[in-house]
Amino acid sequence: MPDNWGFVAAAYGLTAVVLLIYWRRLTTKERDVERLTAERSRFSAEPSRERLTGERSGLTGERSHEPSRTGHPRPEPSSRPPLQ
Amino acid sequence: MVRILGWLAAAGLLAGLVMAFGVAPREVTQGNVQRIMYVHVPLILASYVAFGLVAIASVVYLVRRHAAADRLAHASAEVGVIFVGLGIATGSIWGKPTWGTWWTWDARLTSVAILFVMYLGYLLLRGTIDDPERAARYCAVLGIVAALDIPLVHFSVYWWRTLHQPPSLMKPGGFTGSTSILWPLLVNLLAFVLLYAYFVARRVRLLRAEAEATA
Repeated sequence: MPDNWGFVAAAYGLTAVVLLIYWRRLTTKERDVERLTAERSRFSAEPSRERLTGERSGLTGERSHEPSRTGHPRPEPSSRPPLQ
Repeated sequence: MVRILGWLAAAGLLAGLVMAFGVAPREVTQGNVQRIMYVHVPLILASYVAFGLVAIASVVYLVRRHAAADRLAHASAEVGVIFVGLGIATGSIWGKPTWGTWWTWDARLTSVAILFVMYLGYLLLRGTIDDPERAARYCAVLGIVAALDIPLVHFSVYWWRTLHQPPSLMKPGGFTGSTSILWPLLVNLLAFVLLYAYFVARRVRLLRAEAEATA
């Protein structure tokens, strides 16, 4: 019977390619999850900074005495004219 | 730990290649095409390990409801599907020059195709259910039921008349061939089991990280 080396190469080659693709896919997904985790931790850190600065501005600004109307949000403290 | 497992698997695969092409003799009847056995048999046996572990982890999940058991079952099923798919493909490549056909619907090939499709369905089922707890519960049941096909696949060559040869390893009476064939087969089996363990460890770690990232 002939040796059929082509079939041997096909079997080993296919196995190697598929396993390498899976290994590569795992590596890519791991990197994606790491990036997502880093972005989430940065995102969760940013609102706390904003909250902090918001609190500071809240100390200097004062609450509006205008009654809030439906569909018309209360103006931001920075956009209001200073109180007399 | 995972990195060490990866290096062990790589070393095992390299040793397996050396054994398959440098140590194992040329088979008298089939010629060198028989060397496909050193990748085909370990792939199928490692997939038995994978699906066996899916069944065990699924039972643990149904009893204890541990998310870790579900992650292990998920990872093991994914790697098992790849291994059994490759086992079918390499078997088909081996079948063409030796049987004269890529595929035949005999008991062994049909039962292993059913095994492949069932675990492919297991992975698809996970993807189609949004609620993770419900997906884990349904998949645990399917993982246990599908594992019942493993003995059917393995013993099909004894229970029905098939074109496929009897098992090389794990057969009544033990291995009867030459040790020059047995050792390369065992080294490759160990290498593929190590590779399976490496992939599962990485996949479990990834599933845990994904769960934490999306929580």
